[in-house]
Amino acid sequence: MTHLDASSSDVSFQPKPSLPPPPNTVGAIGWVRKNLFSSPLNAFLTFVSLYVIWVVVSNTFEWAIVNAVWEANSRRECLDKVGLSGACWAGVSHWMKNFIYGRYPDEEIWRVNLGFGILILWMLPFWLPRVTSKITIGASAILIAPFLLGHLFAGGEKGLFLQVMISVAITSFIFSWLHTLLCIATGKPLWTTIVTASGFAAKPDATHKYPVLAVFLAVFIGAFIYQSGWEITAQSTNLWGGLFVTLVISGIGIAVSLPAGIILALGRRSKMPVIRVVCVAFIELFRSVPLITVLFMAVTMVPLFLPAEINPVKIVQAIIAVCIFSSAYMAETVRGGLQAISKGQYEAAQALGLSYWKMMSLIVMPQALKMMIPNIVGSFIGLLKDTTLVSIVGLYDLLLMLKAVSQNPQWNGIHTEPLVFGAALYFVLCFIMSKYSQHLERTLGAGAAGR
Amino acid sequence: MAVVDRGASGQGSSFSVIVNDERYRSIFYQIIVFAAVMWVGWYLFSNTSQNLEERGMSAGFGFLSSTAGFSISFSIIPYEAGDSYLWVYLVGITNTLLLSFLAIVATTLLGFFIGILRLSKNWMVAQLASWYVEILRNTPLLLQILFWYLAVFAILPRPKNSLDVLGLEVFQLNNRGFYFPAPLPGDLFWLTMVTLLVSVIVAYCIAVWAKKRQNATGQRFPAFWTAVGIIIGVPLLMFLVTGSPLQWEIPVLKGFNFSGGSSVPPAFLAVFIALVIYHACFIAEMVRAGILSVSHGQTEASYSLGLKPGLTLRLVIIPQAMRAIVPPLISNWMNVVKNSSLAIAVGFPDLVAVFMQTSLNQSGHAIEIVAMVMFFYMTVSLSISAALNYYNKLVQLKER
Repeated sequence: MTHLDASSSDVSFQPKPSLPPPPNTVGAIGWVRKNLFSSPLNAFLTFVSLYVIWVVVSNTFEWAIVNAVWEANSRRECLDKVGLSGACWAGVSHWMKNFIYGRYPDEEIWRVNLGFGILILWMLPFWLPRVTSKITIGASAILIAPFLLGHLFAGGEKGLFLQVMISVAITSFIFSWLHTLLCIATGKPLWTTIVTASGFAAKPDATHKYPVLAVFLAVFIGAFIYQSGWEITAQSTNLWGGLFVTLVISGIGIAVSLPAGIILALGRRSKMPVIRVVCVAFIELFRSVPLITVLFMAVTMVPLFLPAEINPVKIVQAIIAVCIFSSAYMAETVRGGLQAISKGQYEAAQALGLSYWKMMSLIVMPQALKMMIPNIVGSFIGLLKDTTLVSIVGLYDLLLMLKAVSQNPQWNGIHTEPLVFGAALYFVLCFIMSKYSQHLERTLGAGAAGR
Repeated sequence: MAVVDRGASGQGSSFSVIVNDERYRSIFYQIIVFAAVMWVGWYLFSNTSQNLEERGMSAGFGFLSSTAGFSISFSIIPYEAGDSYLWVYLVGITNTLLLSFLAIVATTLLGFFIGILRLSKNWMVAQLASWYVEILRNTPLLLQILFWYLAVFAILPRPKNSLDVLGLEVFQLNNRGFYFPAPLPGDLFWLTMVTLLVSVIVAYCIAVWAKKRQNATGQRFPAFWTAVGIIIGVPLLMFLVTGSPLQWEIPVLKGFNFSGGSSVPPAFLAVFIALVIYHACFIAEMVRAGILSVSHGQTEASYSLGLKPGLTLRLVIIPQAMRAIVPPLISNWMNVVKNSSLAIAVGFPDLVAVFMQTSLNQSGHAIEIVAMVMFFYMTVSLSISAALNYYNKLVQLKER
């Protein structure tokens, strides 16, 4: 305090450093005060919530872990040990194979595993960096893979058409993985690599497809010869069951409902009255009735509708019903996206001279689908949950398998444990899907936040 | 892309003109679609009639008047095994409507409660509510129904050791169902009901008048409390004056089961509870999104006008939030009606169970029965969406 003299010019105003915030408003204590005990009412609510959490968690923990029986050969053994105070997980682990594969014979289970392994590998390039033509790979997985997988699962005699399709599937699989590896290693797509390697690079563009076709044909012939040696036994769809059937039905439902929904949505917005009326009638009819009535309709009416010599198996009827139902819902989801695209986009596309289909596939659909990703994934989750309804018409999907355990004489009356296990399984599947859609929403800037 | 002069020049084959000329193209496509639909319809029709002939069955609704020989475990309109299929249809419809109506009321209340909890400033409460929503909406409804039915209501005690809900010896819960007192109206009870109706109308008129007067003069009138007083007080007075003509028949244990009173079977309870808990998740999300959709500026503007927090909530936030909440809420109610058909899985006799399953198996008239059931659901759905459109028109932003 020696420089009170105002005339000394080298001294300017020096503020004191600000005090730290009061210790009880920052850090963990501050957070707790602000979020849990900001008022007497809030403090009371916090204690009530804590009590609820404690009751739920401690009871569940005691039942599911502490008192649980992990190994036993019948429900009676479990009951003798702990009564109803602990879970009898032995009943779940004993039937685990049936929950996943149904009654598929043990020595053939590798076919189911192989099929789903192939499908996962086929879709894998989608998540790899630097890979181009992802749409083509995805489309081949949806359109061509089912022939290969269907034959793996069902087995039996294969006609010429099925042989050709299986060979095409093997060829596409090899091509898409060659392409993926090349893209990752060299950054060049398969097409360019083949053209350069065959020395066609200098020739006119129109001739470039010949070497590619030649390679495709060569691989195709190899695949054809390879697969003609396959002999796998036929497995009736009655033996299919469990999670396997759930995934087959919902997978086909997802693969069919998205394209069908897009076409129905376009039809509903079409300027042609006949097409519009047909689409509106289809969508509104199947959206206003419950899925179970559609399933009953498929089971009771499809045999009447078809000529007497065609006798579709039950799983096909259920798949038809699920596809019809989910397409109608998907159509409304896609229509929501289409309506959100501003008119300027359509007009700009038309001004550039694009045809209707080019305008839709290059300008409108990419924006609309991106915007609707959360809703589309929501529909997929709904579809996965809705496949449980096929158990009502007697298909042994995961839910009916879980329920059927209690009818086994040794495990008579065991309901809670299989159902809890199934609930956990469904929860994990749906929760992963919904979290992944939120992740997509963030990375693609989709949804309402991106607009 | 080359610009082609379409139309005027008549070059090329007639087919390419049809496909390439915009004027003819759409007609051409429509004819193709129309022909395809007609062909599919004809194909299905001819197959069906041939199949029916082979099975020796006749189409038509004549079977509706014949006797349905089965009994139905629960019905709110009187039903006996000798009644007609048409009556079975009505029993199914009333059961479906009863279940859906009760579930809709309960799920809406629970959904609003959870939605508000999710917005709580208390972190713990908000987390609890959000886990409730995440866990229950990611599990299939059918699995939840089976869980309640098989794992909860199936292990309830027998009637002899019934759970005495609320401890009043009036509500009894056991593995045969839930028993509660039934009202037995006396001779003059209709007078109370008429009075109630009249007082509701009077209260409504007072509310309209009060609003008009406030708009005109600014003077306020406590219309709400007046209405409560009129609606509760006047009928109560009438009830007491006529000598309390209402008695309750309380269920009592006789032999192996309760008699007297009313009851609902365990299947009803399982479906009801599962529907309420499952759909409340979706309603909670709608309520949360609706309230968050009202921008904070509205609250601030309302405070700066001097409105108290309570009034701000009632006059500014809720009316705007409701505009976002009501349309999805109503379509969720529609989903409750549709999902009540899952009652078939636990044997509650709703429309699908008694008509689409039992009646169809017995009579074999698949097409007629499927059409009738779908007709019912479509009627409900179309009337709900008509109501929704009316509401949307009512609350639409009136831009000036």
